[in-house]
Amino acid sequence: MDENGTDGWNIVVCVKQVPDAADVSIDPDTGRLNRSDAEAVMNDPDYNSVEAALELREQVGGTVTALCMGPPNAEEVLAEAVAMGADDGVLMTDRAFGGSDTWPTSLALASGAAELDADVVLAGEETTDSSTGQVPPGIAAHNEWAQLTYVEELEPDPENDRLIARRDIEGGYERVAADLPVSVAMSYGENVPRTAGLHRKIYAETEFDPEEWSAEKLGIEDEVGLAVSPTQVGGMDTAEPVPREQETVDSADELADRIAEVL
Amino acid sequence: MAAVGEPDVDLDAHTDVWVFIEQHDGEVAAVSWELLGKGRDLADQKGEDLVALVLGEDLEESGIPDEAIDRGADRVLVADDPVFAPYRADAYGQQFRHLVEQRKPDIVLIGGTHTGRDFAGRVAVPTHAGLTADTTELEITPDQYEMRRPAFGGDALATIICPNHRPQMSTVRPGVFDEPSRGDGDGAIEQVEVVVEENDTKSEVLEREVGDVADITDAEVIVAGGMGVEGEFGPLERLAELLDAELAGTRDAVEAGWIDPARQVGQTGKTVRPKLYVAVGISGAIQHVEGMDDSETVIAINNDPNAPIFENADYGIVGDCDEVLPQLIEALERQEVAA
Repeated sequence: MDENGTDGWNIVVCVKQVPDAADVSIDPDTGRLNRSDAEAVMNDPDYNSVEAALELREQVGGTVTALCMGPPNAEEVLAEAVAMGADDGVLMTDRAFGGSDTWPTSLALASGAAELDADVVLAGEETTDSSTGQVPPGIAAHNEWAQLTYVEELEPDPENDRLIARRDIEGGYERVAADLPVSVAMSYGENVPRTAGLHRKIYAETEFDPEEWSAEKLGIEDEVGLAVSPTQVGGMDTAEPVPREQETVDSADELADRIAEVL
Repeated sequence: MAAVGEPDVDLDAHTDVWVFIEQHDGEVAAVSWELLGKGRDLADQKGEDLVALVLGEDLEESGIPDEAIDRGADRVLVADDPVFAPYRADAYGQQFRHLVEQRKPDIVLIGGTHTGRDFAGRVAVPTHAGLTADTTELEITPDQYEMRRPAFGGDALATIICPNHRPQMSTVRPGVFDEPSRGDGDGAIEQVEVVVEENDTKSEVLEREVGDVADITDAEVIVAGGMGVEGEFGPLERLAELLDAELAGTRDAVEAGWIDPARQVGQTGKTVRPKLYVAVGISGAIQHVEGMDDSETVIAINNDPNAPIFENADYGIVGDCDEVLPQLIEALERQEVAA
């Protein structure tokens, strides 16, 4: 029983649609990012958080709802989470969200998670397109919840309404117990995401239709978007490549000599 | 009430450069001193104070506040209480936020460690501050303060500005700035009011184990393996032993279960800056290169002459690692005998 007196936990997992990192390139002539060819995919670290959400549901019961903020076609990543085993999905889509930095983005996801009455909200460690890692702690901060980041393993403690995590810290690890509700950022690659089952896949493709929420529905239409984002991108430069010798040697002996010179 | 997009922030009321001094059990994270050096530079340009913040227990005995002054701080704010040991995001966030609201800094620098990245948002969100992640360059131009960070796997550098909100916060990558040496400072140490009550905290540290896992970010020499190693890390271990090196791996090698996740180098792993980086069977995807690009010398062993790693290496050899590695080990053993 959770704090709401119902069986199991309301588990919410945030997923994001990103351009496939392998397809994003820099145009050598203009120095601009070339992302138009990039396929839109689910943020890779999110597979780990979906897996963790499903494992948590297996342990404590309850439901897993995938939550996504993005354009209408981002429902594809929700369908993917549903195919993996999530019970349902909600798409937060609204022009009002456009241009949001991590402050309004985490506000929107925090509002969505609160609307879903989440006991646990999970997310990937960071996204491959902006890689700030600021959103999971931001969700916790907006809702004044506990947080667990850099999580390697989760251990539910439903009797005490707590979630225990083994976290990666510099030079070691720690085990931290956090009160529910809690925002969790799973470390990348810490579990093996399951593949979608055939029946779920067919359901996700043919019957699943996510609920769509606007900023107004969440009552945050004046608190999201570019205008309330504290940070702005002031420019984008091509990074100077680090100058390297790029010398090819013919033998291992020669390589050993080079190593000896350096050390 | 301010209109949307025009927050009611008196930009001029915010002054001084703050640096968070991260310590665990009296051990200071090196990046904190690096930031104090950079912070001194920024504060001098602005003609303002450099303020260091230390949170923890028994801090006076640790000598950390004194050291912060000797390394350049004009003032040190100390929050000393058992509630801050060991580190917890909610306790740190609440105390730090209180200080920011009370004293209104202009610029705040926090190390881009797991700790720094964990709690920075708990300060930036309630104060509606701008927070930039993983910055590698900080600059005051005549017009504004600019924070730069790698984007898109390190191929691009984004400039982030924070025109209408304060403070301007960033987490900063370790190893980017030089650590200032210790001199004789004459700053002031101030004990601040602790606003965190144990009863209000939302988390509890049950166990903390440090020291059994290697921290590759400090390694002088690294031997790293990728998919080309095909699971055979034995020869890499021998090579690492000979070179007194730490072992590391690519994301693929970690996902294949060949090496511990704590030893992953790259965008989603660690950033390393050793004197020597030996890349074995690593193709050189930008996400990996971003994590090892600060290495002084890079050596690559790969059987694909067109692998991008060769463009990012100083010396390379084209060949199967199961042939090249034993030869290289033998050659190094001969040198060792000769030496």
